[in-house]
Amino acid sequence: MTERVLMKGNEALAYGSLNAGLNAYFAYPITPSTETPETLAREYGNPNYPNFRVFLQAASELEAVNMTLGAACTGALAMTATSSPGFSLKQEAISYAAGMEVPFVVINVNRGGPGLGNLGAEQSDYFQTVKGGGHGGYQLIVLAPNSVQEMFDLPRTAFDLAFKYRNPVIILADAFLGQLKEDIHAVPPGNGLTRDTSWATLGSENGTRHILNSLHLDPDDQENHERHLHEKYEKMRDEVASETFLTDDAEIVLVSYGIASRISKNAVSLARDQGLRLGLLRPITLNPFPYDLVRILAGQGKKLLVVELNAGQMVQDVRLAADGTGRVEHLGRLGGNVPSTKQILAKAKEMMD
Amino acid sequence: MTVAQHRSKDTVSPQETQDGRPKALVLVVPELCKGCELCVYACPSGNLVLSHSLNKKGYHPAIFSYEGTQGPCTACGICYWVCPDLAIWEVRRLKK
Amino acid sequence: MVQIQDDYETKLGQTTGWTGIPTHYCPGCEHGILTRLIGLTLEEMGLLKKAVMVDSVGCSVLAYDYFNCDHIQAPHGRAPAVMAGVKRTHPELIVFTIQGDGDALAIGLLETVYAAIRGEPITVFLYNNSIYGMTGGQMAPTTMPGQITTTTPYGREVESTGNPIDIMKILSPIERVSYLRRGVLVPQPVKAKHGLMYQVKNILDAKRIIENAFKVQQKGGYSLVEFLGTCNVNWKMTVEESKHYPFDQTIKQYPPGVFRDRFGIEGKIL
Repeated sequence: MTERVLMKGNEALAYGSLNAGLNAYFAYPITPSTETPETLAREYGNPNYPNFRVFLQAASELEAVNMTLGAACTGALAMTATSSPGFSLKQEAISYAAGMEVPFVVINVNRGGPGLGNLGAEQSDYFQTVKGGGHGGYQLIVLAPNSVQEMFDLPRTAFDLAFKYRNPVIILADAFLGQLKEDIHAVPPGNGLTRDTSWATLGSENGTRHILNSLHLDPDDQENHERHLHEKYEKMRDEVASETFLTDDAEIVLVSYGIASRISKNAVSLARDQGLRLGLLRPITLNPFPYDLVRILAGQGKKLLVVELNAGQMVQDVRLAADGTGRVEHLGRLGGNVPSTKQILAKAKEMMD
Repeated sequence: MTVAQHRSKDTVSPQETQDGRPKALVLVVPELCKGCELCVYACPSGNLVLSHSLNKKGYHPAIFSYEGTQGPCTACGICYWVCPDLAIWEVRRLKK
Repeated sequence: MVQIQDDYETKLGQTTGWTGIPTHYCPGCEHGILTRLIGLTLEEMGLLKKAVMVDSVGCSVLAYDYFNCDHIQAPHGRAPAVMAGVKRTHPELIVFTIQGDGDALAIGLLETVYAAIRGEPITVFLYNNSIYGMTGGQMAPTTMPGQITTTTPYGREVESTGNPIDIMKILSPIERVSYLRRGVLVPQPVKAKHGLMYQVKNILDAKRIIENAFKVQQKGGYSLVEFLGTCNVNWKMTVEESKHYPFDQTIKQYPPGVFRDRFGIEGKIL
């Protein structure tokens, strides 16, 4: 790969995963995420990616995610990508993987919803992805890229974290990012990920059986298991990551992720030119959520304006963190529409009075 | 439960003897048996019956009857193959 | 008490394929027989240490307690997909599952058929007892017309629910399927001079079928083996009554036999 490459978001997810040493990909086409499996199908057999051993198009979203689950049980780096309606279908397998402590990566390219919705960018799967869309009390690590460069970089982080915590990891993108083309710095492929697979079902040669199971009929066993999972989720909070832009002296801080954060950042620059003190907090991990940072900003008397492509989802987490100490407002567009910088500034000016 | 723990509960019954030892015998583990009677009706010589006593699970486990209805045990192994609870632990016969 | 000394040789001993943990199956249920047969076959073929069993949802859900090998729990109906994920990333492992009629033929019909279409080198054991056992006796895809279950308390009506499906008819035309075999796990009741007797020939045949299925996987082929079994508790019968039902009713709808054998693995024994 050359130093700087023009690439589409969905392609960057594919190449980023290959660079991380992806072993197996199980595909089902759905707009606007299909370029990811198409890219991987083309690169299958490329000697630059010797770790990429399995590419298979499945007959349904369910088949694809369950194949991913099986491959992940052997300690392989396994992944599947989809968009909102397909992500709904995958919830059962994700819940199983969380209960069984099996690491895999699922990409959700958020489109319009609910139902068939449309193909525009939305951030309306925030609740489903971040609060756990499947049954049971589990948590996932959710990474939210906001540029094609991050679409390229985050798969490696996703696999690292998945194996570190033996937990599924979701990369939550949106339709805009999936289709966006930007020039990125594409590092050459590495040697793959070193990771612990002593738990994997690779046979019982040395006499130890490996059992990957989420069923614990005895109430005490199940309670202990869930407590263990929640202790793990507490440790996962160390992985919180976010980016701030001009928040130190800001009067109003925009809180935004994904494509909405790109517009918000432009709005901050525009505002500063006009003498308005705006700032931006961009969570990169949606779970664990940067509650502490929000609490600090709210505690400093700053007002918070959550800009997201939905009718109000992440704003609830921001309100939770602000805990009544600050004024939190929401600006959202839906259906694939995005707010303009002018719209954001108008709302911010409203909040200043 | 290990093999050793199971075998401490063996029941065995002698049949036709050769120098005082039975020619063939079968080890049943009563704690594993659920009294389904498949072995009782499968045994061609009628050497198995349900015990009058109960095991810990509340079933009447299969044991050898001291009077085989059709003859002595021949170590044919049919009871071993038919048992759904793996309670027929071993089929043994005298070495030649 | 008889002294058991070295004069005795063990003709048949318990298999190391079984962990020794007592099973939860109902008295008389052939799941227990299947457990022994598969465990013994894997032990004899030296495959236990390379075996990964995928535990489907049904009466066999607790198989991780019984089979002495690695285990992966699969969601209901998804075992063939999970097995394909394992086998494609690690072809040296031997993967198999025991599915009930609901897991394989209702919720999992797509996964069952597509694994067959692709010819995934996996082994599926399908335990067909014409009912949903674990959940307490509801209608299954293989329930007979007129059969009484808890969701067909007046008998299964085909006008509303359709006819029982025969997976062999669905899979046998598929090109990349290597071995399709239906056997009977039920000891056959016969009238002997002294009264009732069970014949175990079916069970011995079943062991050979299981060996064939694993040999087919070793050759890289897909096999699905359907075994007719009983469910005396949900059929509301005694153990003895339940042994008659498959021979009187089920085999008319589901005749045993070889439905596909690409490698010619069946010898002349049967």
